[in-house]
Amino acid sequence: MRYEIRVEGHLSEALIEVFPELDHVTVPGQTLLFGYVVDEAHLYGLLARCQSLGLRILEMRQVPE
Amino acid sequence: MTGPEEDESPVAGGRADPRGDPFLRTRFAVPARPATYLRRERLTRHLDQALTTPLTMVNGAAGAGKTLLVADWAARRGRLPVAWLTADAAGDGPGVFWAYLLRALRTAGVPLSAGIGAPAEASRVGPALLVRLAAELSGRERPVVVVLDEFDRVTAPEIAEQLEFVLRHAGPGLRLVLVTRTEPLLPLHRYRAAGELTEIRGAELAFTPHEAARLLDLHGLRLPPAAVRALVERTRGWAAGLRLCALAAGQSPDPELYLKEFEADRSTIADFLLAEVLKRQEAGTQELLLRVSVLDRFGPGLANAVTGRDDAEAALARLSRENAFVEHLGHGLYRLHPLFAEILRAHLRMRRPGAEPGLHRTAAAWLRRSGALAEALTHGAAAGDWEFTAGALIDDLAIGQFFTGPRSDTTAGLFAAMGRDGTGPAQELVRAAGRLARCDVDGALAHLRRARHDLAEHDGTADRAAARLSCALLEALAARLAGAPDRAEDAARTAEGLWDAVPEQLERHPEIPALLLDHLGSTRLWAGRFEEARAALSTVAECAPGAVTALVREDALARLALIDQLDGWPGRAERRAREALAETERFGLSPSAGAGVDRVVLAAVAVDRDEPGRARALLDASAESHPALRDPVLAACRALTTARLHLARGDPGAALRAVEEEVRADVASPWVQGETALVAAAAHLAGGRARTAAGLLARVPDDQVACAVEAARVQLAAGRAAAAVRLLDRVRPEGRAGPAVTVRAALVRARAADEAGDGAAARRLVGRALAEARRERLRRPFAEAGPWIRPYLRSEAPHRPAAGRPAPCFGPSRREPPPPVVEELSGRERDVLRRLALTMSTEEIAADLYVSVNTVKTHLKSVYRKLSVNRRNEAVRRARELDLL
Repeated sequence: MRYEIRVEGHLSEALIEVFPELDHVTVPGQTLLFGYVVDEAHLYGLLARCQSLGLRILEMRQVPE
Repeated sequence: MTGPEEDESPVAGGRADPRGDPFLRTRFAVPARPATYLRRERLTRHLDQALTTPLTMVNGAAGAGKTLLVADWAARRGRLPVAWLTADAAGDGPGVFWAYLLRALRTAGVPLSAGIGAPAEASRVGPALLVRLAAELSGRERPVVVVLDEFDRVTAPEIAEQLEFVLRHAGPGLRLVLVTRTEPLLPLHRYRAAGELTEIRGAELAFTPHEAARLLDLHGLRLPPAAVRALVERTRGWAAGLRLCALAAGQSPDPELYLKEFEADRSTIADFLLAEVLKRQEAGTQELLLRVSVLDRFGPGLANAVTGRDDAEAALARLSRENAFVEHLGHGLYRLHPLFAEILRAHLRMRRPGAEPGLHRTAAAWLRRSGALAEALTHGAAAGDWEFTAGALIDDLAIGQFFTGPRSDTTAGLFAAMGRDGTGPAQELVRAAGRLARCDVDGALAHLRRARHDLAEHDGTADRAAARLSCALLEALAARLAGAPDRAEDAARTAEGLWDAVPEQLERHPEIPALLLDHLGSTRLWAGRFEEARAALSTVAECAPGAVTALVREDALARLALIDQLDGWPGRAERRAREALAETERFGLSPSAGAGVDRVVLAAVAVDRDEPGRARALLDASAESHPALRDPVLAACRALTTARLHLARGDPGAALRAVEEEVRADVASPWVQGETALVAAAAHLAGGRARTAAGLLARVPDDQVACAVEAARVQLAAGRAAAAVRLLDRVRPEGRAGPAVTVRAALVRARAADEAGDGAAARRLVGRALAEARRERLRRPFAEAGPWIRPYLRSEAPHRPAAGRPAPCFGPSRREPPPPVVEELSGRERDVLRRLALTMSTEEIAADLYVSVNTVKTHLKSVYRKLSVNRRNEAVRRARELDLL
């Protein structure tokens, strides 16, 4: 499954490192994290990681392979 | 090891942890508020409603100010006891969770009776414990407020269910406050609909511009209203964001300008602000913050260890005073605010790549030196340093944690990540323990051999005593599971020679000698040395009760009960087996972690009393015993009791199949062999194969009284009355065994007398058997005796005075044993029966079950048929006798 998570703000290098399995692009005022998500457990793990870093999730969606 | 298990005395209120472990104590501490904490009356007033609703939920994002709000409110409750529990980062299993919650209640001064018990297992908690807790709380005059902080870390759905259960049944005695980032799995909508929920959510926690201005004021910042409004907009009133802003701005030469820049910046708030605050600290403090981010809780000593400096005390005191991301927990311990710990770890990884394992290792070594084994193991595992981690466990003599006590799951889980390539005795011993805990004897033996070899090479040094003792314990367990009595005795002798070398560790770990004696006793039981087995097992049964030894005590008691049962004393066996189960119950062990043998013993007693339904249920429950206790004794007893149950139900084929497969053991057990042959013989006899049956008897040894009597019975049934009586005369069971054996012996003699035409002697013998059987409620011997006995049972009635006063529980209507239930009642039939017992009419039952009257009548007919009765009151009485109700 490929997913795309849009979070508010620009992520610092340190925070990007917390998601080594995802690619990212920075757009004005937002960061887009995207990549292959292994399963549901991984998906919820990503959400928890965002939450524990105080990131605000604006959007999350599955994207076609 | 430190853990909740060591404390079950109700007086422990003032002394939260028997070993005074400050790391645990902090989980019960209401967090201190920083000097710059702003009390917001609108929230405090809302929170006051928590006293009027059973459930309160405060939820919001990390850093929303949930914990401080509740902590400030709780600290001002004054007269009401507030029990505070911060959930563990690792995510507790139900057993650990409830153990901590009980401790939190006691720490808060809530008097709970010792009868509540304590969970002895990490992953489960018995329902009875929750019932008792709810009952005690519901009896309180004033409620106790229980705050569960960081409840989002509690992920086990059972815990939510159990909390809901206790909350519902504790009534006004309990006010539960959940502080969480995510909605808990409790049925919130129901509480909400009933007006029983106080909810404070993120939006309400957000700071208003007015409040933000006051907060900034506390930090010495005075800003124009427009600037404050802009700041609140940028941070969305997020408490942590505002606080960090205040800190960062306060340290800059022109705060207002700084905040303008911050508004324009588009970075993620927390990370940006934290980096800002961090870079304004001096280099030493920055390093300290980065390094302690790998620790859950820390004091100055541990902080100094990970920084390699000696100035942590002053720095931590200053940080906790100045800003919100270092929190003082009391007792000289600190923690980082969870949000900032996470971000700091991210920074640590980037700035000091690869430093994390080293920091964990340093922390582990320091914690080990200061006696905090549980935390040392966690950090050792996080460092991936298995030589250290396994070494720490072995040197502390904590190997018993693999088998017993509330930490068993945690320990096994911790070491599950250990690779196969590490060598050395400690790691081999840990691997062996892991295998044995799953009942994998062959795998364990290979590791034990290597450990023994390593230990022999290092011989001559005294400090290896703990490792050698652990090795001996595991060898005793392996010998027990393999049914190898000599090896168990050798291991026990080795262990006894090492006791004196590790006095301190033994004091901490009473489960070690208990486990060893239990293994030894059970192996002796297998070998048929009942008296020696009894000696070892009694010592275990008499050791001080406690959660770490609960399972071992249960097992020892259960095996003592088994010896009583084998000796023919069903009453005694039942009492002791129930005592064993009570032990399990008291410590909330689940059947799957229980000993198993206690249920098998009760099943055997139930078979003897002609209660097959009960026996079946007990046997089924015994299938799920703790894997490390599934030794040949348990396997053989289950097989034998199952076979006897099949015989009682008139299915000799199934009985034969039950004992067909020989129980795997290095050394055969004489009594198991004997009993197996007898059961098989009885089955063949019932199947009309007298010759095969007689052939099997040749294998039965004479020296086991119970076996000899059974053999005589089979001989007799095979038409060899004289041989049967000769055998009994030789063995003389009377006075050597209990009623279950002597009653059968008397009936063998009675039948022999009957066949010889001596009716008077037969009547006298049957009378004696009945008198003895009454006290123990034995029925099976009469049911299995055969049709010849009927006239004697009937004509025995007039001679009743001569046979002694019947026991009250054994009224005249029960003198002739009713035929056993040969067919199980269906679920629906039980439903009908239960309503019958409530004296409901047929029509009422039909209405209650939503079925037609005719259907109820059909069910009733088959109930009557299965219970061999004709009337409803008879059916109810019979069902009660058989424990069907």
